[in-house]
Amino acid sequence: MKSIDVFGYSFNAIKLRKLRSALTTLGVIVGIAAIVALLSITQGLQTTITSELNQGLSANTLIVRPSSGNDIGGGFGQGISGTGFSLYSNYTTEINSLSPDIESSVAVMSRSGYIQTENLKQSATIYGIDFNQYAQVYPTFKAETGYIPTDPLENQAVVGTRINQPGQNGTIFFDAGNIINIAWVNATVLPPVDESYTAVVAGVLEKVGGFGSNGPSDTGVYIPIETAQSFFGTDQCDMIIVTLKDSDNATVTSVSKAITDHFSNQVSVTSPTAMIDMLSSVFDTLQLFLVGIAAISLLVAGIGIMNIMFVSLIERTREIGILKSLGMKSRSVLSIFLAESAIIGLIGAVAGIGLGYGLAAIVAQVISSGVFGGGGGALAITPLLTPTVIAGALAFGIGISVIFALYPAWRASKLKPVDALRYE
Amino acid sequence: MISKNVAVVEALNVKKTYMLGKVPVEALRGVNFRVNQGDFVSILGPSGSGKSTMLNLIGALDKPTSGTLFIDGVDIGRLNDNQLSDLRRRIGFVFQFFNLIPRLTARDNVELSMSIADMGKSERRKRALELLETVGLKERINHKPAELSGGQQQRVAIARALANNPKFLLLDEPTGNVDSKTASEVLALIQNLNKEHNVSIIMVTHDEKLARQAKRTVKMFDGEINSDVVN
Repeated sequence: MKSIDVFGYSFNAIKLRKLRSALTTLGVIVGIAAIVALLSITQGLQTTITSELNQGLSANTLIVRPSSGNDIGGGFGQGISGTGFSLYSNYTTEINSLSPDIESSVAVMSRSGYIQTENLKQSATIYGIDFNQYAQVYPTFKAETGYIPTDPLENQAVVGTRINQPGQNGTIFFDAGNIINIAWVNATVLPPVDESYTAVVAGVLEKVGGFGSNGPSDTGVYIPIETAQSFFGTDQCDMIIVTLKDSDNATVTSVSKAITDHFSNQVSVTSPTAMIDMLSSVFDTLQLFLVGIAAISLLVAGIGIMNIMFVSLIERTREIGILKSLGMKSRSVLSIFLAESAIIGLIGAVAGIGLGYGLAAIVAQVISSGVFGGGGGALAITPLLTPTVIAGALAFGIGISVIFALYPAWRASKLKPVDALRYE
Repeated sequence: MISKNVAVVEALNVKKTYMLGKVPVEALRGVNFRVNQGDFVSILGPSGSGKSTMLNLIGALDKPTSGTLFIDGVDIGRLNDNQLSDLRRRIGFVFQFFNLIPRLTARDNVELSMSIADMGKSERRKRALELLETVGLKERINHKPAELSGGQQQRVAIARALANNPKFLLLDEPTGNVDSKTASEVLALIQNLNKEHNVSIIMVTHDEKLARQAKRTVKMFDGEINSDVVN
């Protein structure tokens, strides 16, 4: 029997049992939709996070911090060192001389603090940096309004976009050229004192995104490092960002080692690439776990298909007898049953991919609109439906359907025509 | 008038034993029998005489336990599953209960046996139409079996059996499930096919009156052939 006739015959049989076929297909749809939805959300999330991280972190940089046992370097250093070792701003010169692969290095001081104007008090992270060097390391350190002073006055400051516009909703509290109070609570003396000074906003940064963990941040206030040293009353810095001439793995590894060796293992050196790699592998594991759970529902669908095929086999025993008595070969009977489940699998997979992507889009919309955590667009996820996912979902849907139909189909093909015809 | 023609069916000491639970039942006890090209033979016998077993063997649905059965010159005892399927395409089996596929129209039912034999779509559509015209069902081609009378279903079954130009038609109680008027129409159709189109016919029945309408009657009783007479 020709393949097209096999499929035609199978399709006809499916059409006759519309409700039953629809319910069987629904099982596949749910399974595939769950997998597709989870995959496209996690992949979309992964892409969003890595791209934001990539923006915030330059691949050819290393972050040097006092070693605190926390190698991943999440969060902002608070100048607390686990080993009693401190980094000083002038170590940059030492570091620069460690390897010819080092382009430059820049010290960063940071403190939690806040800024204040007539009608706004907004918490912020205050960074002390060299504006020029910092801008070279991070291309995102770029002014949207105003400018970034190349030779800053000591009272000039640059702020992130969530500082002058905390809601990101168009309400701008101050802009370049305005005067703000920059303040932090000095807890190194007892009792702690609020220290503040008046600064002129030279520029407001372009929006960076939610994950600029070591690079420029939307909630950062940037002041010249000399101002920071006197304002915070210390020469200690929290990290030194080292720019490399090359971002390949060998350079990253050798320079990292040179720096840790130089400071006798009292510093930790983090490469953003390693961090992104690690994050990716965390996502991969998460994805595998979620898809594994979703796959269980597809397994259930497969068992449903097997069940329905057995019912069909019993109902159609006589029909199989007729087909065989007309000269149909066993393998054609097998093909007819397999084709039926393949059609169910195909329809289920196609509908499942559509439904799954739809679900993912809704979930992404909900997350992005900030229902959870009130991030207000901090995390804009676009669900990602890659060709691999589509092909995989199709193959999986059809594959599961066909695999679970194999045994019933084989049983059907092995029916003896005499017995099958006698069956009522 | 046994002609010296080509044999379409030839049975040589064919025996068939079934296991009914643990009891062996001898359905055929050594049958010798020959049907030539162009013959119209009826196999007559009461229930339990072995005629249904004979029918299944001639229809290549089953194999003999011993003895040799040639169908279209082939010893079916030596055929595998696939070869038996191929052979069945050369046999026009018409079942007692018609055995049409309920969800297919008359035309699709006739086409089915041709599509099983790998015939192309346009060719088999044309042939199905011709065949249904031959059996007088031109107006009913798009009706499903449930929308047809018993006699009409019988004719669809005959058209289907003829579709692949079989070596012979094998009919099981062809008038068993139709009224007497339809029965004589169906018989006339069969006789016409035999006379005008030289189709060999083997008809299995328990109806003596019907059996006498064939050119030759083979009487079976208790698994053996009692008599083989020309009518």
